[in-house]
Amino acid sequence: MKNRMKKLVVLLAATSMVVQLAGCGGGTGSAPADEAKADTPAATQETEAEAPAKADDTAAASEEEITITIWHQSVADTDPVKKIIEESVTEYHELHPNVTIEQDGVTGEQYKTKIKTAFAAGEAPDISYMFSGGSFVKPYIDAGYLLPIDDYLSPDTKSKVLPGTLDGCTFDGKVYTLPTITFLANLYCNTEMFDAAGAKIPTNWDELLDAVEKLNAAGYTPILMGEKDRWPGMYWYDIISARTASNAAIMEAFGDPAKFNSEGFIMGAQKLQELVKANAFNDNMMSMSYDEMIEGFAAGQGAMVFQANWVHPAFQADTAATKGKVTCVPFPVIADGAGSITEFSGGSSDGYYINANCEHPKEAVEYLEYLSEKIGIVGYQQGAGLPCWDTTGVDTSSLTPLDTESAALMETGTSYISWWDNILSAEDSETYKDLVAQVMALKITPEEFAEQMSKLQPSEFY
Amino acid sequence: MKKILSNKKAITLFVCPTILIMLVIVVVPIFISAYYSMLDWDGLGKGTFVGLRNYMELAGDERFVNSIKNSLLYVFFSLFIQLPISLLLAIVVANVKRGEKFYRTTYFIPVIISGVVIGQLWQKIYNGDYGLLNALLGSLHLEHLQQDWLGQESTALIAAFIPNLWQYVGYHMLIMYAGIKSISPEIYEAATIDGANSRQIAFKVTIPLLKPVLEVCVTFSLIGALKIFDLIYVLTGGGPFFTTEVPTIYMYKTIFDSFHYGYGSAISIFIILECFVFTMLLKLFFRNKEEQV
Repeated sequence: MKNRMKKLVVLLAATSMVVQLAGCGGGTGSAPADEAKADTPAATQETEAEAPAKADDTAAASEEEITITIWHQSVADTDPVKKIIEESVTEYHELHPNVTIEQDGVTGEQYKTKIKTAFAAGEAPDISYMFSGGSFVKPYIDAGYLLPIDDYLSPDTKSKVLPGTLDGCTFDGKVYTLPTITFLANLYCNTEMFDAAGAKIPTNWDELLDAVEKLNAAGYTPILMGEKDRWPGMYWYDIISARTASNAAIMEAFGDPAKFNSEGFIMGAQKLQELVKANAFNDNMMSMSYDEMIEGFAAGQGAMVFQANWVHPAFQADTAATKGKVTCVPFPVIADGAGSITEFSGGSSDGYYINANCEHPKEAVEYLEYLSEKIGIVGYQQGAGLPCWDTTGVDTSSLTPLDTESAALMETGTSYISWWDNILSAEDSETYKDLVAQVMALKITPEEFAEQMSKLQPSEFY
Repeated sequence: MKKILSNKKAITLFVCPTILIMLVIVVVPIFISAYYSMLDWDGLGKGTFVGLRNYMELAGDERFVNSIKNSLLYVFFSLFIQLPISLLLAIVVANVKRGEKFYRTTYFIPVIISGVVIGQLWQKIYNGDYGLLNALLGSLHLEHLQQDWLGQESTALIAAFIPNLWQYVGYHMLIMYAGIKSISPEIYEAATIDGANSRQIAFKVTIPLLKPVLEVCVTFSLIGALKIFDLIYVLTGGGPFFTTEVPTIYMYKTIFDSFHYGYGSAISIFIILECFVFTMLLKLFFRNKEEQV
């Protein structure tokens, strides 16, 4: 009995020592690199320390079994990216038998919680999805959680990315990710309902109000709004203010929020309230979620919805009542507004970022290159968004008319601004979304709204 | 055996693991949270120490005060509506002639369903377009009462509370039921012989003898009410316009949506203290009563 006890204790001590050694491995490994390259950024030091070690026995290293984990938020069956990531796991394993990819996804709002907790606890995956724009990913970069990938990117990859699209992936002069597909918000109209109500697809504000009146008279809900989640309403103010104040004025206001308290932005809130007062939205908008809004439109419960082009697969599914009956147009112009019809909401791209503590950064970046391009091209072919990658020679026969329409709209664009919650800081985004909800509930006046907006913090991601 | 149990060392040895686990997973995190609550921190990078500033801001935060009001209102509903219903059901089910098991199981079913499922269920009941509640009102020709229950400020709070109250009625009923069943039948016989009717038996015999059980129920109900989160989160997410927000939801939103880890931790510490103080008050209240008796 005593002997067994002793053995157990020794065993325990031994295992704990091994664990400690493994834990220290990263730290001691980086020490020589510190001396050799004193001026390399902190985040790359550890990885470079490992790189020479691998070069020594390349043959062995390339055969080494590697597992790379990736977390994402593409879990809806109508989201083509879900399938692309799932397929990439098996495909990539066939291409690189020694690399195994493990993917895991949870839906958007929960993903935000999950990824934050994981990074704080040091349990984040090798590759993680980050929302487009900049304000979401910036705290992670500032905290040193993410790896700049300049040193690993192949020139070949850089040449395949469309010009300008890398800008959104660059922070403080360093590239952190690759673009995938870009999204653009459009006004989606159910042509069947418009025809039945005798309304015209709106090109300007008066026509929009006219269409609302006719649709209401015909017993249709003119516009579906899932304001329980608050961001669908935000999209409306985003675009209305692009029409009333212009994208240029919005960008100025992001830099100097005091400028939000000006005529263009007050007018934007007035226009939104005008729609509310015209009964343009569904009565239960405050309790309807985004998902219910999209499913509702696809089931023919409303005539219009303003959303980004990721909704195409849902609207064109074989089971959707709207299949073949949806057209997309740019948001109507507003006569007295400073904006034009070629100014858009959207234009940025989501990306996948590499953990600074990733053990196999080289392999992770290789997979990132592969995945980003795959999402860019296959995602485009399946109508998930517009490509950030060179699509010369890509088969586009699978594109639906709706996809082609929205791609054509994008080409007319002269300026793009991402969703505001990706530009404003996390806290200000919440404030902004709450304010828009209050405008829509007629709880605050347009002047109060503008006054509150002018108190936000300046932002740098526009 | 007796020898071992009277050995202080042995007791320490046996109690140690539990105490350690409790310390590591319950007590230590509370102290860590208390430390975080004194930081200005986004939860990712480095925080700066700001002392009690977060607490001072909390005191003047209208949204926070409003969330406390909501949760206290819910405490009121739990104690004065939920528990009496549970008690009534417990007494009735314990005295029912046939199908006692059936009723007991039926009332307990909501308790075993996850809060998120119940939330989804009631969301469909309340839905303004196709919800069961509006459909019911429609079939009773009460169209003027149909409304968007969870979407408007006037009804959202009550509508969000009802599923919570409904869910745990069965839970408290079961505890009370077990208490009633453990009361010796001779006492009832004696009461019947003395000519007490069933209402007198309930008020003069059952309820006084049930006091220790009721005390447990009141404590559980109170703490549960102060910590309520999942159902409201699923049903309304705290909206519209914070009308259904309780401190736990506000805490979640500050930490995970607004990235104010320090401020959110201050709220969590407040919730812990709030629960602690209320439990102490309850204890005091019950003890005073005992002394009076």
